[in-house]
Amino acid sequence: MLLGEDEMNDNIADLVDSRTGRQSRSIYASEDIYRQELERIFGRCWLFLVHTSQIPKPGDYFRTFMGEDDVIVIRQKDGSIKAFLNSCTHRGNRICRADRGNARAFTCNYHGWSFSPDGALAGVPLENEAYFGELDRTKFGLIPVTKVAEYKGLVFGCWDANSPSLDDYLGDAKFFLDVWLDAMPGGSALLGETQKMVLGTNWKLPVENVCGDGYHLGWAHAGAMAAVQSMDLTGLSVGNSGVDLDGGLSVAGMNGHMVLSALDGVSGYAFYPDPKPILEYLEANRQTVIDRLGEVRGRQVWGAQVNITIFPNLQLLPGLNWFRVYHPKGPTQIEQWTWAMAENDMPEAVKAQILENQCLTFGLAGLFDNDDGDNLTACTEQSRGWRTAQMDVYTNMALGRSGKREGFPGDIASGLVSEHNQRYFYRRWQEHMMAETWAEVPTYNINSLTDEEAEHA
Amino acid sequence: MLDRPLAPPPVEVIVAVTQALHREARLLDNEDLDGWLAMLGKDVSYRLELKSRRFRADRSPPFPLGPGVIFNEDLGRLKMRVDRLKSGFVWAEDPPNYIRRAVSNVEVLATRADNEVRVHSVLGMHRNRIDGTTRLLTAGRTDLWRSEGSAWLLAAREIVLDHSVLPDSNLNAFF
Repeated sequence: MLLGEDEMNDNIADLVDSRTGRQSRSIYASEDIYRQELERIFGRCWLFLVHTSQIPKPGDYFRTFMGEDDVIVIRQKDGSIKAFLNSCTHRGNRICRADRGNARAFTCNYHGWSFSPDGALAGVPLENEAYFGELDRTKFGLIPVTKVAEYKGLVFGCWDANSPSLDDYLGDAKFFLDVWLDAMPGGSALLGETQKMVLGTNWKLPVENVCGDGYHLGWAHAGAMAAVQSMDLTGLSVGNSGVDLDGGLSVAGMNGHMVLSALDGVSGYAFYPDPKPILEYLEANRQTVIDRLGEVRGRQVWGAQVNITIFPNLQLLPGLNWFRVYHPKGPTQIEQWTWAMAENDMPEAVKAQILENQCLTFGLAGLFDNDDGDNLTACTEQSRGWRTAQMDVYTNMALGRSGKREGFPGDIASGLVSEHNQRYFYRRWQEHMMAETWAEVPTYNINSLTDEEAEHA
Repeated sequence: MLDRPLAPPPVEVIVAVTQALHREARLLDNEDLDGWLAMLGKDVSYRLELKSRRFRADRSPPFPLGPGVIFNEDLGRLKMRVDRLKSGFVWAEDPPNYIRRAVSNVEVLATRADNEVRVHSVLGMHRNRIDGTTRLLTAGRTDLWRSEGSAWLLAAREIVLDHSVLPDSNLNAFF
């Protein structure tokens, strides 16, 4: 039974308490809440579509999803990028069943309507004989994604005409995104085919896991850490037996985006069996990056383990170099899509090593990744029972211990082991879910740096 | 002379290699991972590449660094994976899962080396994990097996997985 709007909003207000770090388990399994998420989160937020490196040439296309809506992203003749619903405007059939490729046209399998890469309806079989020439083709082009915009290689789409610009949406998260996208002059790329896995989890749980949960690393991944760790990672050790709160930051309060960052400039490569070639690349280019991004980001963040979360469903980890989107498939299922990420200035051998190591650690048979799926699935299943659906879960570690930190934007808690970021994630979720329009969604970049501070940090 | 078809391997070789495939599956099902490692050549290559679903007529080039992999292992890396599984910390494998492999469609073909054969086979892997959760994974395999002393050792394996979206939360299992 679908709830009325007022009833739903009262309900949402009670489902999350980000002050005390409490969430109702119903948010991980309820069909009603999920339908509202598709409207108010996936129908409203800027969603990652593609990296420009994945569709370099005119006619190149990539199929993806916005929420549950199947979308094709296509490089145009003029080099711009457009995105359309992957659905024939005649009877709704999917027009493209390939993952990616290059095409001069997309022809529907059902009746043969064909669409050009700019979305125009280009061909209709029996147009004169059966439609008597009366079909206005201009009214039956592919449905475009309302807004498509790029930030330094990352292409996003948004269905809501009233959303803030992509630039404003990303807000101070750009300070951290630039550590990958703009550290070196050559920019960035995603590598390899898409690594796809279906998981029986609500989409929020993997986002939460990576946005702030340094707590699980030493325990959930103990087997992998024992097998491959080549360097000490800011005090995180097998079995959750140690933690170094001075070694990293949990950064939130940036329009719902979150960052975990170590501060040693090398620990991103702690899970590489042979980190030497990459450490040499970091060493050789350190000064360039300091010149471009300043001392703090150039010396401490570039090369360190950094987890960046762009609300709602994009996560990228410069250092470990995996890049991931979660596509919801109902309240209790997702498809998890992963790629390796690199800087274009890296030598080919280093890029190859990154692709190799990303597949080894966080690929489909990833030594680390394979530990998380069952935990997230079980947290979802334990929210579906008659009794468990009435219960809460908690992100109440280190409450009230955050503030400003010199040289960084955001509301910051010390260390990678905190639940500070998760609280902000659920706070943002609640803000979107309670807002009927974008105008009701608050914008905040806490402790924003001035441009000058950011440059000279 | 270059492309003259090779005579089929002797029946004894076909039987011995087929038996090695079955034995390998049994060792893996029984989690005798050290026994399995002992069936691998020192220079073993064990690969499973990623794929994407493309139109037949699509001529766009592969990505510059290739598709990426699910497995690209040598003996050291396989030992590392086995070490992880044996660490006692891989919670998804405790309690143990019910895994059964069925090897089928075995073809043993001669190569130009007297002591090596090329082997095509199909592997079906049934995995029953956590209550009733059951997945059936299928894969095609093309192997190179080498006779060393009295044993046949796996020298190379190229695996093709028949799933564009992995329908399970991990691949803590070997094909």
